[in-house]
Amino acid sequence: MSALRLREVVKHYPSGGETVRAVDSVSLQIGPGELVALYGPSGSGKTTLLLLAAGLMDPDAGEVSFDGRDLGGMSARESAAYRLNDVGFVFQSFHLMPGASALDNALIKLPVCGYTLREARVKTEPWLTRVGLGERLDHRPHQLSMGERQRVAIARALVGEPRLLLADEPTGNLDSARTRETIALLRDVCHEREIPGLLVTHDSEAMSYVDRTLTLRDGRLLDGVYEELPELSTSARP
Amino acid sequence: MNRALLGLSPSMLVFLYRRRLRAHPVQELLAGAGIAVGVALVFGVLLANAGLTGSTERLVRALSGSARLTLLARSPAGFSERLTDKVRALPDVRVATSVLRENVTVEGPAGRQPVQLIGVSPSLSSLGGISQQELGNGALLLSGGLGLPGGVAETIGARRGGRVSVVGNGARHSLRVGAVITSESVKALAGSPVAVALLRVAQRLTGRHGRVTQTLVVPARGRTTQVAGELRALAHGRLDVETAGHELQLLSQATTPNRQSTSLFSAISIMVGFLLALNAMLLTVPERRRFIAELRMQGYDPRQILLMLAFQAVALGLVASVLGVVLGDVLARTLYHQVPSYLAVAFPIAAEQSLSVSLALLAIACGVLATVLASLSPVFDLRPSLPADAVFRDAGPAGGLLTSAAMRWCGLAGLATIALVGGLVAVAPAATIFGGVALALASVLLVPPMLAALASWFPRLSAGSRSGAVILAASELRAISTRSVALGAIVALAVYGSVAIGGARDDLLNGIETATAQYHSTAGLWVADGSNVFNTDGFPVAVTKRLRRVPAVSSLRVYRGGLIDIGPRRLWVRARPIDDPTMFEPSQLINGDFKRAQALIRHGGWAAVSSGFAREHGLTLGSRLVLPTPSGLASLRVAALTTNSGWPAGTVTLSAPDYSRWWGGAEAMALELDLRSGVAPAAGARAVRAALGPGTGLLVQTTAQSAARADASAREGLRTLSDISTMLLIAAALAVAAALSTTVWQRRARLASLKIQGYQAGQLWVGLLLESVVMIAVGSLVGAAVGVYGHALAAHWLTITTGFPAPFSIGGVHVFLTFALVTAIATVVISLPGMAAARVPPRMSLQE
Repeated sequence: MSALRLREVVKHYPSGGETVRAVDSVSLQIGPGELVALYGPSGSGKTTLLLLAAGLMDPDAGEVSFDGRDLGGMSARESAAYRLNDVGFVFQSFHLMPGASALDNALIKLPVCGYTLREARVKTEPWLTRVGLGERLDHRPHQLSMGERQRVAIARALVGEPRLLLADEPTGNLDSARTRETIALLRDVCHEREIPGLLVTHDSEAMSYVDRTLTLRDGRLLDGVYEELPELSTSARP
Repeated sequence: MNRALLGLSPSMLVFLYRRRLRAHPVQELLAGAGIAVGVALVFGVLLANAGLTGSTERLVRALSGSARLTLLARSPAGFSERLTDKVRALPDVRVATSVLRENVTVEGPAGRQPVQLIGVSPSLSSLGGISQQELGNGALLLSGGLGLPGGVAETIGARRGGRVSVVGNGARHSLRVGAVITSESVKALAGSPVAVALLRVAQRLTGRHGRVTQTLVVPARGRTTQVAGELRALAHGRLDVETAGHELQLLSQATTPNRQSTSLFSAISIMVGFLLALNAMLLTVPERRRFIAELRMQGYDPRQILLMLAFQAVALGLVASVLGVVLGDVLARTLYHQVPSYLAVAFPIAAEQSLSVSLALLAIACGVLATVLASLSPVFDLRPSLPADAVFRDAGPAGGLLTSAAMRWCGLAGLATIALVGGLVAVAPAATIFGGVALALASVLLVPPMLAALASWFPRLSAGSRSGAVILAASELRAISTRSVALGAIVALAVYGSVAIGGARDDLLNGIETATAQYHSTAGLWVADGSNVFNTDGFPVAVTKRLRRVPAVSSLRVYRGGLIDIGPRRLWVRARPIDDPTMFEPSQLINGDFKRAQALIRHGGWAAVSSGFAREHGLTLGSRLVLPTPSGLASLRVAALTTNSGWPAGTVTLSAPDYSRWWGGAEAMALELDLRSGVAPAAGARAVRAALGPGTGLLVQTTAQSAARADASAREGLRTLSDISTMLLIAAALAVAAALSTTVWQRRARLASLKIQGYQAGQLWVGLLLESVVMIAVGSLVGAAVGVYGHALAAHWLTITTGFPAPFSIGGVHVFLTFALVTAIATVVISLPGMAAARVPPRMSLQE
């Protein structure tokens, strides 16, 4: 059973001649079967933390590990293999292929893992059915609603049976009913498969459906305390 | 199931590409069209060039068969065919057969055409090979008639069994068409301006009874060198002994300038094709970058992403290049398919087009490579130092913005290239063609800084304008993207090619026209064989007695000349009567004193020689010049260096008495007639024709008519260059317009938001047109400016390296017309989609 650990992680960004500490000595642990929401305003460092957990960037200090393996210093191929085999990633903006059906969009990882297209379609279809798109397998993105597209993206993240679930503002474009459904689905998957999940959001509605909430402000973790923050703008990602 | 990273399967690659095609069909089509256009232009030109030499090679081989050696006459008068019997009697000679070749004109019900008459005997079939057997056996079948290639027969309206007139050696003969030669019979001859007859018949038609111009020889195995020596002994220094394929070397030398200039156009065409593909690819760069980042996020290895990109580029490049090859073949067969008549004077030219597999593969490879290079830009996102998600945070318009530093570097590189080319050409004039390609590249490099300059000036110029259209255009021009640079560069390239090579072509035409005008100005009327404009074919001088008695004629002079082979050159020999007003054209003098040179040539033992030939043989003023003649080696001295007067291989000009002494014979190649005072040229010509009689085979022309005929021949010879230049301009203008239209269409959301702000459709339309016109104008100006420099270099190359008369003069009208043509075509094409885009409903800006 796997856990995601961050220990005294620091990450800088150059910005306008200054150095900004996007993540400032953050330590956290997410155990198997646990869906944790990372909450904070725009520019608080949430997405940076997510990218560190995905192995898409190395920390400037500290350690990021998954399942006991240090993710820092991985080569590009090791990093790709990690995301391919272990990580399920859900984006806010979906990034679906406009020319592909819902089914073909969702299966995109599997052929690289050695599945033929036929096998990949067979494996992917139940996941799309589970997210409620069983009748819309052949629909292309422009024929789906925003919520349906998000569910394709979720199915895409789950079809590879990941051992770590990462989601970046997955409900940013959804109404409250869809938000509840989406977060509940992610939580159920984490519980069923006993995998850790990290959900980045500034949507307070999502807090009710996760196992734990962490608050990030100015790159620092507020010790797992959920603090009511003022009305936040729905600005774009940092 | 193995979860380790594996390579992408072919089906997955196809899957990904099919999805991409479904999403972006227009962009892929545009990119493919760009590549297809570039490949078509390149392949068409290469094929036309190869078609000329390749098919001529097949014709020469068809005639010579397995012959290894040939004995060649040094004048049209030929040598006795009894010499062939002596050759045949040599112990190491297996086969020897006679051939007579002479330029004649065939006339039929529908027209006339100059051809090279080839007289063969049935013994030609002994040379072996299908063609020789067919020719030899076919000659038997001709039975006193004439064999005409299908193309010639169609031109003059002749058919098998019908009668045609053969005009040669000053006489006219009526002859039956014994056969129409098609590609099914003798493929090598089918497309050639030649005619075939039995040797006896050809001798009768040309008045060369008992004479031949060539003996083809098949030596015994391993005895070629010995037989060559024996042939030289038989020749006694009065005939040439060469390899059977010798004429191909001469043709190659004669066509070098044409091939080099069309090669330059090929290079420009492939650059244009690449830029067109790049421009179309850049349309999709933001989407491709996001997709690649998405794949990286999902765990795709950079190698797999590279494989996917390479697969898509190769697939598109292959399809587009194959289409380009097909189009290029059509171009070569239609537009570029012609036999230059000025070359047909001296060579058995064929221009049968057949698809060359090796050229096709080369063109396809170039097209695929260009597509791969054009698709490369998203690859930079695979750098390990670049976070995969950086793409999602990237701002800017499609195609990416160029930095000021990048534009500065481009400008510096462009200027450095121009300076380097100037230095290179000064040191090594033969590298001018390479310099021409480098200048094309320089014109591309200069586009970004020029656009940058425009981007800073235009807003300032338009600062006081109240016109919404001008304000819109100024704001769009401020954002210089890679795409706008690519579009400007395409225009610059096309205009550069047209101005540089078109300008050089105009210089050449002007030079040749000046030369021909002066060449023909020595007499009021010219009487000649009429089969070619170089006056190299003879006719009996007996006709002069009749013409001297014509009241309108005050004096008559006999002009002589011909063609001789020295090394790889087939030189044009001009032998002027010593009482001609000038011995050579004053405008063609390069080195020497004109008056002194005239006096020396008239005196005898001196000649004017073209500079290219002189340089090759280390000749300067006063040097000894040795010419191979039917009487042996003639020794003359160089009185002046001249241009080649429009004959690529070069010229030698001497006096008619010198020619008579060395070449012997009494034939005239032309008669120069002066008319009495008060006699109009047309009236004088009528009188001379009347004196010659209706059965004459001679052509009577005034000075103006003779010069015009020569000029028409020169223009026809350069027509391919004109056609290529025009095609390149039109293709570039249309492609740029199509690309701009796509860009405009993609901006509809932004246009819609302007409408919400209060802009009207008309303002938007004019703004779009203005922006497009300005961008095209910048490219045109850059291309024209560099093109003028390229023109100067090309003119320098023509005069110094090849020896052509091509005095440089900036053709302002040509430059302006090129600029206007490109701008007009592009503006007209853009106007419709621009209008449609400008009519976008404002609510579109509120939609996702």
